[in-house]
Amino acid sequence: MQAVENKIYQDKIVIRLIQFSVIWAVIAISVGVYIAAELVWPTIDFGQFWLSYGRLRPVHTNGVIFGFGVSALMATGFYSVQRTSHVTLFAPRLAWFVCYAWQLIVLLGALSLLAGWNTTKEYAELEWPFDIAIAIVWICFGVVFFGTIAKRKIKPIYISNWFYGALIIVIAMLHVVNSLALPVSIDKSYSAYAGAQDAVVQWWYGHNAVGFLLTGGFLGMVYYFLPKIAGRAIWSYRLSVVAFWAFVYAYIWAGPHHLHYNAIPEWVQSLGVVMSVILLAPSWATLVNGVMTVSTAWEKLRTDPALKFIVLSLAFYGLATFEGPMMAIRSVNVVSHFTDWTIGHVHSGALGWNAMITYGTFYFLVPRLAGRELHSTRLANLHFWLAFAGTMLYIIAMWAAGVSQGLLWLSIDSIGELSFDFKDIMASMTPYYLLRLIAGLVFLLGTVLMAYNLFMTLKGQRAVKVTPPAVDPAYGVNA
Amino acid sequence: MSSNISSLTLFRSLYQPQQAFAELARAEPSSLRIFLSYSLWLLLLPPVFSLIGAANFGWRLGADQPLFMTTNTLLIISAGYFVALLFGLFSTAIISRWMAKTYGASVSLGRHMALITMVGQPLAIASAAHLFPDVLVNVLVLIPATIWGMYLLYSGIPVALETPPERGMLMASALMAWLLVAVVSLLGISMSLWVLGVGPLLGV
Repeated sequence: MQAVENKIYQDKIVIRLIQFSVIWAVIAISVGVYIAAELVWPTIDFGQFWLSYGRLRPVHTNGVIFGFGVSALMATGFYSVQRTSHVTLFAPRLAWFVCYAWQLIVLLGALSLLAGWNTTKEYAELEWPFDIAIAIVWICFGVVFFGTIAKRKIKPIYISNWFYGALIIVIAMLHVVNSLALPVSIDKSYSAYAGAQDAVVQWWYGHNAVGFLLTGGFLGMVYYFLPKIAGRAIWSYRLSVVAFWAFVYAYIWAGPHHLHYNAIPEWVQSLGVVMSVILLAPSWATLVNGVMTVSTAWEKLRTDPALKFIVLSLAFYGLATFEGPMMAIRSVNVVSHFTDWTIGHVHSGALGWNAMITYGTFYFLVPRLAGRELHSTRLANLHFWLAFAGTMLYIIAMWAAGVSQGLLWLSIDSIGELSFDFKDIMASMTPYYLLRLIAGLVFLLGTVLMAYNLFMTLKGQRAVKVTPPAVDPAYGVNA
Repeated sequence: MSSNISSLTLFRSLYQPQQAFAELARAEPSSLRIFLSYSLWLLLLPPVFSLIGAANFGWRLGADQPLFMTTNTLLIISAGYFVALLFGLFSTAIISRWMAKTYGASVSLGRHMALITMVGQPLAIASAAHLFPDVLVNVLVLIPATIWGMYLLYSGIPVALETPPERGMLMASALMAWLLVAVVSLLGISMSLWVLGVGPLLGV
């Protein structure tokens, strides 16, 4: 019996991680909606520190990135690495440890942020005890993933695994280096780096967290699930390999574009700009590959709501990966930096790209894992339009707010004095923040519908038992 | 099959889109004729409205005082706006025709030119909001116009370009990606021009 169990793909863990991911999506987006409301009605923190914008904002970002995003990446990574290697997961107990330990870190981390523990490093706000725990769990994640690849029965390592692999290796490197600090108490540490160096290390981490987690990791998801959903092989495998290496090479240098006109060497800033612009090529190579793969699978749109999300996610991926390099150019950045345009840019990526591709993948995956049809295709189609409308409204509101802010902050009169008062400008932003709040609510509503739909699909079902198929000798490890 | 289609029919896409798309599907219009008799006039509306509005009321971006610029600066901005729209129309029509081969749609450039103009028509007309260049007023007017334009894009491609609705949806999404990039490019180019000294006076 044990021998048979060992030959069945470890999919229970995939289901559990998807459930956690969806729960975090609902919680973290709700927190986002609440802080969006605080920007319209600042008094709704009711004088409570833990309800203040400063404490809730990192709960929103950490919840979305590490709760929703990483849980989804672990789920899809574990699912796809087994299928592409034709073996079951290496060290399944360790995989379960990774699953639950990660959720505990996100939960306790969120509580610590509410309590005011904060390193003040963006996207790395959690204090040192959490940093150590993250490093340990992440390494275990790597052991499970690479262990599975090491015992694979297929000789080639499929392209999605290269992206998931890069995610694991690079995030480990970024996290360890950026989190080096001297602890002075359980809730306080001082960074190992000082001044401008700290800023450079922080944005080397910050931008590559966007690069290797929110872009690279999710590209792994695209390369496995897009061909699966479309029922076609990837349009150009060669292009995907070229795109991978170009992506990995170019991304790691782009961080300094977050520090334009700051106290870091100008050549470092310039290097950041050049590499950011070069990055457009590998990003769009994947875009072309995805669009061309899906272009021949149009019949699937009739029956599969998942494909719609994936098609639209590619459109927003195209936007975000073009907008980013453009905003890295100094003459654009000088106006756009510190404005709400940046928030709009981040959300065109987070909502339009990361969330859409994940939602599409979940709509594809959950019925297969549960062995029954999706509970409601109608609800999924409604979710699609809510997600689309919410994302568009969010972006438009933030573009308008951001461009107005950039222009007004820098406007000078004929004698060279600033024309407008900063606080007056910000006070006039309320209508845009209200539009953003509506956009967030619309997007959240869609996410809640998905949570209900997936819950009903999974209700009472056990994971379908699937065994690895026979390996074509031409692709076997000994071939 | 008639080779031409009247501007009035194209205009009707605003309120009777399906009939207008069906008529376009029966025509093989000349792209130059579509441009001169229909697109050009719509393209002129936003820059003209913007010029009149900015000269009379100034740009109202949320500060207590509107931002006034010299007539010369406003003329340059409006001319730039027109060139950008012109480039947007032609590039989108050409890209649309290029994509049509992948999605099994008609490759008649005239039809693409007409369809893209129909899609942009609600925005061109809603640009009357530029007559009072308050950003919020413009955002509130242009959002429903954008939604209508997107509806026209998604529903128009399968009918006017004769491709199955599912393939049309894919093509519309691919075009959407291009349009989003085009819009954000317009923002980026505008900012670069402001920093270079064309437009409002910035302390950079």
